[in-house]
Amino acid sequence: MSEEETPTKVGSTRRTVLKAGATTTLAAGTPLPALLGEAPASAAAAATATSPVEVSLTVNGVARPCTVEPRVTLLDALRERLGLTGTKKGCDRGECGACTVLVDGRRIKSCLTLAVMQQGKEITTVEGLARGDRLHPVQAAFVREDGLQCGFCTPGQIMSAVALIGEGHTRSDDEIREWMSGNLCRCSCYPNIVAAVREAAKEMS
Amino acid sequence: MSAGVVGKAIARVDGRAKVTGAARYAADAEVRGVAHGVLVMSTVARGRIVALDTRAAQAAPGVVDVYTHLTMPRLTVPAPTTGYFKRFVPMQDENIQHAGQPVAIVVARTLEEAQQAAVLVIVRYESQTPQVVLADGLGDAYVPAPGSDGTNDYVRGDTGAGLAAAGVIVDATYTTPLQHHNPLEPSVTVAAWSGDRLTVHESTQGISNTQNALMQALGVPRENVRVITPFVGGGFGAKGPVWPHTLLTAAVARLAGTPVKLVLTRAHTYTSHGHRAETHQTLRIGAARDGRLTAIEHVVTQPVSRSDELVFNSSEPTRMLYACPHVRSTQRAVRLDLPTASFVRSPEAATSHALESTLDELSHALQLDPVELRLRNWSAVNQETGAPHGSNFLRECYERGAAEFGWARRDPRPGSMRDRDGLIGWGMATAAHTAGGRPGAGAAVTISVEGTALIRSGTQDLGTGTYTVMQQIGAQVLGLPLHAVRFDLGDTNFPPAFASAASATVPGVGSGVVRAATTARGRVVALAVADPRSPLYGVEPARISTADGYLHVTGQPSRRVSYRSVLRRHGQPIEVTSDPAPAALGYSTGAVFVEVHVDPAIGRIRVRRVVGVFDPGRVLNRQTARSQAIGGAIWAIGFTLMEHTLIDPHLGRVVTPNLSGYLVPVNADVPDIEVGFIDRPDPSSPALGARGFGETPMTGVTAAIGNAVHHAIGKRIRDLPITQDKVIAALS
Repeated sequence: MSEEETPTKVGSTRRTVLKAGATTTLAAGTPLPALLGEAPASAAAAATATSPVEVSLTVNGVARPCTVEPRVTLLDALRERLGLTGTKKGCDRGECGACTVLVDGRRIKSCLTLAVMQQGKEITTVEGLARGDRLHPVQAAFVREDGLQCGFCTPGQIMSAVALIGEGHTRSDDEIREWMSGNLCRCSCYPNIVAAVREAAKEMS
Repeated sequence: MSAGVVGKAIARVDGRAKVTGAARYAADAEVRGVAHGVLVMSTVARGRIVALDTRAAQAAPGVVDVYTHLTMPRLTVPAPTTGYFKRFVPMQDENIQHAGQPVAIVVARTLEEAQQAAVLVIVRYESQTPQVVLADGLGDAYVPAPGSDGTNDYVRGDTGAGLAAAGVIVDATYTTPLQHHNPLEPSVTVAAWSGDRLTVHESTQGISNTQNALMQALGVPRENVRVITPFVGGGFGAKGPVWPHTLLTAAVARLAGTPVKLVLTRAHTYTSHGHRAETHQTLRIGAARDGRLTAIEHVVTQPVSRSDELVFNSSEPTRMLYACPHVRSTQRAVRLDLPTASFVRSPEAATSHALESTLDELSHALQLDPVELRLRNWSAVNQETGAPHGSNFLRECYERGAAEFGWARRDPRPGSMRDRDGLIGWGMATAAHTAGGRPGAGAAVTISVEGTALIRSGTQDLGTGTYTVMQQIGAQVLGLPLHAVRFDLGDTNFPPAFASAASATVPGVGSGVVRAATTARGRVVALAVADPRSPLYGVEPARISTADGYLHVTGQPSRRVSYRSVLRRHGQPIEVTSDPAPAALGYSTGAVFVEVHVDPAIGRIRVRRVVGVFDPGRVLNRQTARSQAIGGAIWAIGFTLMEHTLIDPHLGRVVTPNLSGYLVPVNADVPDIEVGFIDRPDPSSPALGARGFGETPMTGVTAAIGNAVHHAIGKRIRDLPITQDKVIAALS
């Protein structure tokens, strides 16, 4: 897939991603029951997906060249190739939000997009928010309001919150709740997360 | 001791690492040359493997090797005392005991290569029809032999006599579904061998258990196995026991000659680390007309696997909580072709739900307010043992909670409270959970020549706040400012600790820190009073106080010397290590009040308000304790209204192995939650008056929601979760 073919409105929805990555996801193969006993996926399809390509990802303002197979998700490229492990994998299928990052300022689930699709975009991860020792207001508010316990969903919550504030969806607690509902927190800090987003939004306005 | 270090709302000390992405969880460990493992799972629930073809997988790009029961080394089944509950290790023979049992592991250079090759492993089975439906097996239920929690047929008094003496008897059958933990971090093992030494980065609630199980499974000595877990992305019991993927990953890393990282897929987690077993519960409660309980009979029937008979839905609240002379609590098991069950956050939640719901039914039968019913049956002692609680302010919890909620304004008639667009219900229940009573923990305290302290214990922080509250305890006991103390955990090189489970960390690890820090402080005091150059020279050690980094004569704060100068003169660090010692069993209780709103047209239930007032003894950190209470309440919303794992009744497979099929609460499901604490120290607690608390606040809320739904709609839905379809059916 060439860069030109990448949809311009990059997928925060699963539909967009599946459409764009149809040939590659087939071969990348979410592990399926092996009982089927079918012949392996065709060699041609596999070659498309597995021939490594050179890409350059702009992450937190720095151009990061890396070699990835086209089937590699943005999430796995960040974590396994670029060593940016702040972005977490909770489900690998767009359900939990732990892998949320910003692409050109929009929040997307990095497990639902391929690294090759994100060349030339500005990618921001949780590692890119603080300025030196100074935390981003959203980060500081999460610590202050105890908007985290185990911390595993926290990078995704924070990236969502940063985008949410930019989107202007903080006019009420109910609105924050609604627009933060794509990020699961199993420790269940939700009321504290709402407080953190509300307080950070005030500070940033 | 410094006033105020303990008890404050102190922001968690690992917060900065967690909000910047710097906190390294097991899957984030930097291990040079690590390869990736992916499990292949059985698709049948009962049977055996008759053919395996791994040739295509082995020939796939990047594959290091493919391992099956034909090529794996023999592994010893670790003893249950290591927390390895399953009574077999998979991939040791051809037998299949449940769907989603590992049958092969693919190791490849990259994750994508391993995933692709895993699809290419061909396994053929000879399968039998599995039995996986509890309702079909009730006729075969039996009472298992006494287990680690004692008898499964507990009897106190004579329930026949108690029921004969009752003025009112209520009978009820409650059922709760199979549920899964679903921590956001799936379980991870990263295993690296260096010669015959193994280092494992593990997402576990128990590094010592993991170490012990690996030693036994692999036949290597303790000193050769190191387990490291600085952060855990949630556990809720999933990572409490030791499970096969850990042993298998370590074994294949040895064979492959390369470090291996294995992260369970979300789908694999549904058969890889236990679950809360489904329950079928019958309750018969007798009471005098004034509400005093005369008898409780509680029979809990739950599935066990084919190879173990562990029952984790314990009837602890039935046995311990209320004053009642005649109690029989029976645990029955039904063998099904399911994975081994385990504990899930607040294992007593299922039985507590049935007990507290049936008490609500009793309050209606007696026309007695449910708070008053509970007050009349309050007990100052643990009813099972007869031993007094260290402290018990449950009555105060009822009173404060009722006042804060506005309970007095409740119209007790079901269906009587409504607003413009629906029905409103108010319900309440008691929260109660034991805490501690486990083997405890050791801690090592090092006071540096700069007068700062490093405290280490081989415990874990699941998000509960261990890093933070142990630092607070250390600072408080030593008399150092919080920033002069650091607490490290998650390494088997540190003194051993019990698993982070059973609300045992505060009493177990907290008391270990108290013991080591008290001894270390005593050493510093001894140095100061023995040094002729010290302003404290010759003072009786008992008259020395410590606060804010200084030692001073009690009552004379200006006659003081700093930790730093005492240690500098001493010229070397002071090191003290405490051994693990069990902490007494505590009982943390509370009262919870809930408002629900029911839209009768579509059967939708919204929890609108939760008020909980709790007695966990002394509150070490109001902020982290409050967060635990909020988390428990939200878990209860999931437990009561949405969570259930569906098993295909014919194939025995989980049909909802993902977070869109298995619903957990999201932000929009959750109202504001008001949390209060009595906050009075328990004199029996060896951890500065604090008891364990983590599991208490989920109990009670489940029944309070169910009781509120009944109050709203006038119908009792006894089969959880209370989903919209059941509400609509009840109303039509």
